[in-house]
Amino acid sequence: MSNAKERKHAKKMRNQPTNVTLSSGFVADSGVKHHNGGGKPFQSQKESHPGTSRQRQTRTTHRPLPESDAKEQPSSRVTFRKKGGWKAGPEGTSQEIPKYITASTFAQARAAEISAMLKAVTQKSSNSLVFQTLPRHMRRRAMSHNVKRLPRRLREIAQKEAEKAVHQKKEHSKNKCHKARRCHINRILEFNRRQKKNKWLETHIWHAKRFHMVKRWGYCLGERPTVKSHRACYRAMTSRCLLQDLSYYCCLELEGKEEEILKALSSMCSIDTGLTFAAVHCLSGKCQGSVMLYRANKYPLEMLGPVTFMWKAQGTPGDTAESRQLWIWLHPALKQDILEEIKAVCQCMEPTKATVQTPDPLLTPSQEKSQVDLPEEKVGKKRKRKDDGENAQPVKKVIGDGTRDPLQPYSWLSPATGIVIRDLSMEMNRFRLIGPLSHSILTEALKAASIHTVRGEDTEKTPHRWWIETCKNPDSVSLHRRQEAIFELLGGITSPAEIPAGTILGLTVGDPRINLPQKRSKVLPNPEKCQDNEKVRQLLLEGVPVECSHSFLWNQDICKSVTENKISDQELNRKRSELLVPGSQLFLGPHESKVPILLIQQPGKVTGDDQRGWGSGWDVLLPKGWGMAFWIPFIYRGARVGGLKETLVHSQYKRSPNVPDDFPDCPAGVLFAEEQAKHLLEKYKRRPPAKRPNYVKLGTLAPFYCPWEQLTRDWESRVQAPEESPAASSPSGGESGSSRDGVPHVPEPGRTAQLSDDQGTPLCDSSEPEGVMDTDGPAGVGTEEAASQSAASSPLCVLRSRRLLRQLSAWCGPRPGGHQATQRAGRGQQGLTREACLAMLDGFPRALVWVRLALLGKGSPGPHTLICVPAEEDRLQLGRDRLYHGPQEPKHSDPFKSQIREQKEKKKLEKRLNRGRAVSEGLAEGSPAAGPQPLTPGLWSGPLPVVTSHCSRVLLGFVTQGDFSMAVGCGEALGFVSLTGLLDMLSRQPGLDRGLVLLRPPASLQYRFARITIEV
Amino acid sequence: MAENREPRGTVEAELDPVEYTPRKRLPHRLPPRPNDIYVNMKTGFKAQPGRCQKLLDGGARGQNACSAIYIHGLGLAINRAINIALQLQAGRLGSLQVAATTSTVELVDELEPETDSREPLTRIRNNSAVHLRVFRVTPK
Repeated sequence: MSNAKERKHAKKMRNQPTNVTLSSGFVADSGVKHHNGGGKPFQSQKESHPGTSRQRQTRTTHRPLPESDAKEQPSSRVTFRKKGGWKAGPEGTSQEIPKYITASTFAQARAAEISAMLKAVTQKSSNSLVFQTLPRHMRRRAMSHNVKRLPRRLREIAQKEAEKAVHQKKEHSKNKCHKARRCHINRILEFNRRQKKNKWLETHIWHAKRFHMVKRWGYCLGERPTVKSHRACYRAMTSRCLLQDLSYYCCLELEGKEEEILKALSSMCSIDTGLTFAAVHCLSGKCQGSVMLYRANKYPLEMLGPVTFMWKAQGTPGDTAESRQLWIWLHPALKQDILEEIKAVCQCMEPTKATVQTPDPLLTPSQEKSQVDLPEEKVGKKRKRKDDGENAQPVKKVIGDGTRDPLQPYSWLSPATGIVIRDLSMEMNRFRLIGPLSHSILTEALKAASIHTVRGEDTEKTPHRWWIETCKNPDSVSLHRRQEAIFELLGGITSPAEIPAGTILGLTVGDPRINLPQKRSKVLPNPEKCQDNEKVRQLLLEGVPVECSHSFLWNQDICKSVTENKISDQELNRKRSELLVPGSQLFLGPHESKVPILLIQQPGKVTGDDQRGWGSGWDVLLPKGWGMAFWIPFIYRGARVGGLKETLVHSQYKRSPNVPDDFPDCPAGVLFAEEQAKHLLEKYKRRPPAKRPNYVKLGTLAPFYCPWEQLTRDWESRVQAPEESPAASSPSGGESGSSRDGVPHVPEPGRTAQLSDDQGTPLCDSSEPEGVMDTDGPAGVGTEEAASQSAASSPLCVLRSRRLLRQLSAWCGPRPGGHQATQRAGRGQQGLTREACLAMLDGFPRALVWVRLALLGKGSPGPHTLICVPAEEDRLQLGRDRLYHGPQEPKHSDPFKSQIREQKEKKKLEKRLNRGRAVSEGLAEGSPAAGPQPLTPGLWSGPLPVVTSHCSRVLLGFVTQGDFSMAVGCGEALGFVSLTGLLDMLSRQPGLDRGLVLLRPPASLQYRFARITIEV
Repeated sequence: MAENREPRGTVEAELDPVEYTPRKRLPHRLPPRPNDIYVNMKTGFKAQPGRCQKLLDGGARGQNACSAIYIHGLGLAINRAINIALQLQAGRLGSLQVAATTSTVELVDELEPETDSREPLTRIRNNSAVHLRVFRVTPK
């Protein structure tokens, strides 16, 4: 009790000046009175005296020294104790009155106390502001704002406070007034400053007003709309039109002799994965192709990434047959690696810097600035060149003018092969329209350029001389007319999926801003256009003729002139306002800009059986600077805009791997996975341990990343381990066995034994007889396999060989049992035999396979969901009960529990120790040296154990994308499984149930059934 | 979207599957009007007559009710289209009539080459289709 009282007292004393303690506070109080000649000096005198008299010797200087404080404190406390409580203090009459006091010393002591008290009064101890300490009746409105409203005595303090607050606030650029900041040039300067690190697309400002922006791959990109629009965007993709700005995709141009380019690039791709750069229809320039790039001659290892490419059409006017142009479009995350590799294979190491930069005296500050920026970047790193993007703001009319020669921005020449590589990223805009209405939107928004009748006097004056020159040539005019006719035909086709995949159509269009509608509306397909049957039929069958894929976009001079001669919005609007009839069509005649564009069909979903053609659309390539001029007209025709998230959804519903997330064997994919893991871990750590899933107890080893390496290695060792076991006995009579029950072979006979060692689950018991029954395995094959695998103990790769994938996909499907099934299987494909499996594994010992998983019942799997092999009993249970959800994972014990507790205790101890030390020594010790890496409660720490057999069901792979799929109407996931594991699982499953797997999200114990399919 | 199934034997008979991969393209169709219904085999059967019924009934007070709807079925879905039309008719007790037309739809198959040296081919296949006009009659 007394202890508590004491503490309370100490608390009160905390803010007191040391020589004016509370007990002596009364003293001070009375002392003042005494000093002033107050009437009741006696009490105070009695009280104060013992203290003062005792201190007299030490405090002759009347400076509150620290030692004296320390001494005084206990002394005052002693008196206080003696008095028996401070309340009783004032009335304490037990003390005798001193006989005499010396006036001078007494006054001195009082003076010191007074000064201390005054100091205490001026130094406010609480956290509140001055005006907050005023009593309510003295407060006035806006005191915090205006110091003069405060009583005069407080003004000084308030002034100080206000100044402090101003300093604490973030420095705002108030050097210019609002109007000046909004001034055009200043704004551009500011915008340029803001995109020094991460470049902006031309549509950035439009996006920034409507999207959550993220900084990624050196760009500022819209991630998702701020409005709630997940389903609306899906509907737009399916039945209307979704628009995306893909201008951040990079373009590399290769120019040189066709055979040289092909020869160089052929080492980077393999015909196994599909058609290469040399495919006939792509080579002619008629179609866009897509290809997987690998490091030169390293296939199937060292993947670099997927790219699309297009050749410039042959035999177009003004084109020499010798040199050809190839554009390779790729994701910015892949660019660094691919560019280096292409440079290496083409032996293009010499940068060509043909141009001398001549500064233009009439430059605006922004241009000057960008000019300064440019050479730095050029000299420094030959990395991504996105510099001109900043100038390409729609507000800037002259873009990249004088800063450099657009012909050779970043280019490398090879003296040996004569190939020139140019980096054209940000030179063009790429907009993607997805959905069936994209035809209507395109035909509505774009109108083919009108042909000029030649008038001699005009040619010199008008800025669009290239178009006038073109119009003089009858061949070009007829080509333009044909392109226009084909473009008009598009309006009569209901879905882009009806057109041959990858079709390229070149076109020159007029300024799309001219016929912008007054209001945003939705176009509808015009039924009248759909009548022209014969021509449409020809288009659908034969595609666009080769020569029609020609566009002036390939010509950089023309592109540059088009970019430079763009009429600004302001100018256009001014002209519009000068129209005699407001709202009527603006007619610019020969002054209207002509813009060359390229339209590329994107085929959408081509693999698999269902949802064919979903997500098909058109990509529009534009010269730079024209982004907003095309963007707004598209939107005014009813296109909905999506961001990066919609790209992900699109690829997920198309069941294609997304770049770069779903390429675990390519450097960009690995980097992405690392970043994602870090991000997720941080997010996880932000929650208190009790409010987040304990992944150790849930049996999830790696909830934030997918340990592919370890997975494949574990499967390899799993398969290899049983080779030594004596189980291999029966001769190879597997053929007949397989044809009988659809389980051809078990490649690893002794696996079950190993399984039972690993875990005492019923899985092993049930699968044991099967294993024994079907065991075959000539030891020779086994050793061979082992030898080959050990020889090729290679890093991870993803199986992309179309032949093998097709075979796997045939094996994955459920096979209606019986003899017929196997007979049919024998027709085109091999049966699932041990030999076939071995042959496949031989080439790809540690491979992953891209699979699609459709859930049978409930559940929507997220990323990092575990794909597991169902045990025999699960399948039996499912056979008995169709509505069976799936087994449950038993709760795991937490082996780190004791460690974490220890760690916690140690921390506590340390804390206490620290506190003690701090008290004793008066200063806090530096934080103790970081010991062994601190454990995160709920996460597996240290190296992972064997990942495959950690849970009750054997792990097969991981999901990388997954969600409820609105396209299918059930949960759907995409991911990778180990090839070894997949073959093992398939060979153990009977025909009807083949391809059944279990999915378990990282934060759940419930397994759910799903069916595996491989789509080629 | 109608399903189109064709005995797959023909593909193998004509072309070597090693060199070409057949890919079916979507059938050409006219822009759908609100009273068009394309029958497919993927949607549950019960839902499809329900959709037709909704179109014929219109809203709560019969506004926007179509006097006639068109049910299209292609290939395998012909049976189902007829089934739907007949069910509608039976449900309305003689106030609905059905008029059927048949047609042939040209389907385009793309043959994707497996080697670089071959051009992609297209092949035309024909499939039958049925277009059923279900319309209201005023009983005399």
